[in-house]
Order: sequence, then C-alpha cells, then structure tokens
Amino acid sequence: MTLSPIELKTKIIDSLKLQDITPAQIDDDAPLFGAGLGLDSIDALELVVMLEKEYGIVVKDIEEGRPAFKSVRTLAEFIVAKRPA
Amino acid sequence: MDKLTVTAASRVTAADLATARLGSRFGRMDLFSQLALLAVESLGINFDSLARDRVAICLAAATSSLATDVEFWKGRDAAGGLSPTLFTYTLPSAAIGELAIRHRLTGPNLCLVGGDALLLAEAADLIRRGEADACVCVSGDVVSAALAELIRVPATAGASALFLQRGGEGPHVLRENDRDIASWCAVISGAKNLG
Repeated sequence: MTLSPIELKTKIIDSLKLQDITPAQIDDDAPLFGAGLGLDSIDALELVVMLEKEYGIVVKDIEEGRPAFKSVRTLAEFIVAKRPA
Repeated sequence: MDKLTVTAASRVTAADLATARLGSRFGRMDLFSQLALLAVESLGINFDSLARDRVAICLAAATSSLATDVEFWKGRDAAGGLSPTLFTYTLPSAAIGELAIRHRLTGPNLCLVGGDALLLAEAADLIRRGEADACVCVSGDVVSAALAELIRVPATAGASALFLQRGGEGPHVLRENDRDIASWCAVISGAKNLG
C-alpha cells in the first residue's frame, strides 16, 4: 500500500492552514521543520492530531514519532507502516 | 507634559481579510490576531526607521479571547482531540506576540480586557514615563456566532489601530481626555481623503 505525496502535502497544508503554499512547492525530501518548510513545535503537535484524524494513527510518544516527521517522504512511509488495516 | 501625536490610524473588518497576504503563517492565527495584524499593517508604519525596543504595543480585547476559547472547546470531541494551534490563541494577549514577532518590536506591552476606554491613556502613560517613544495601539473585538448566542450580544469582528508617537504639533496631538479610538480613525482617514 502506498500514499500519494500530493495527498499528504495537501493534508499538511490544510491542517496547518499554510497560505500561499501549494503541494508542488513542497519537496518530498525537504525538512519539514527548521530550514525547509519552517514548521515549529506547535505545528508538530498539529500534525500528530492530523495523523489521528485523517489516518487513525495515534502517536503516543512524540519522541518515538520524531524520525517520521523529518520530511514528507518519511511521514508517508510512517503512515503506510502504521495505518490500521 | 510631553506632547504626543497620532500619526496613523486604521480600521479593518473580517471582510478585509479575504485579500490580506501577510505570510504563510497568517492562516493559522485566530481571527482576532489576524484582524490585529491587518489593522497594524494598514497603518503603513515603517518600523525600520524606529528603534524597535522603544516601540510599545498596547492592545484592548473587548471580549478577551472568548470567541477563540469557544471554537477551541468545540474541538474536544473531534478525532485527534483539541487543536494545539488554536490553544495558543486562547489568551487575549496572543495577538501582541504575533505583532511583536512580525514587526520585531521588543518594547513594553500591555493587554486590556473588557473595553478600550483606558487604552490611549495607558499608551500615553508608557511614553510619558519614558518606557517607550511610540506605541502601537490596537482595539479589537471578535464575537463569533457561537459566542453571540452564549453571551447574547450581536456578532462582530473588527479591529482598529493607531500609532502614537512622542512629539509633534497640529490637529493630531493627543489631548488629555482623548479616549475614543473610533473617532481618531475617522479623523485620520478623513484627513487622508482630503489629501
């Protein structure tokens, strides 16, 4: 099972209410936090909420999920691995 | 006593937000912060020409953050739970933080809840005490439909801003008993219209 990067980018943009950014402008491998998309710690929590709301994935330990939040690609892989059947 | 001058004033409503473009993070702010930011942006102040640690921010929130509080609380039954982003706006002073970040203002700040009758007096006091040379004054009120139903007042969304500076002469000198920000906005915009 795979997850379309465009779909995930669209959900990230919608959940974080990012303005003037399109899915095409987000590189699959660019860092989500810091230099890349420039997200912050509040955004990280909002993405955790999005994962549960959209994909039914509960991240109980933010440290455990940290590697997944490196980029769109790692987040998509995390979702595919953890998504309930 | 030092003379203080109102050098700019503006008034915005929710309708003005449709065309507002204030960065990619503007969308995540609550309505009150968006209105406060847009009102200050509409002042057209060039903060580069000022010492940013000498510019204060005074903000009055008529109904505090109640509209955002209600919106936040409505999310308690949603999948994933309450919104962490919205939580950060469940304080009336959050808009001050957003203003300070956007314009890199590091002077003193003050948040008043329940009305703006003391806003200009407090801002003037900050300047006259020597704590700042200028002050961004913002008065806003957001009563959402959900809040209007709860507290039985009409729904509204708007913000006014004015910029108060030490010194100056002429018709825009602040008088001791000036309290009415709406009147200042009308006077300043009237002067602009007259060219």
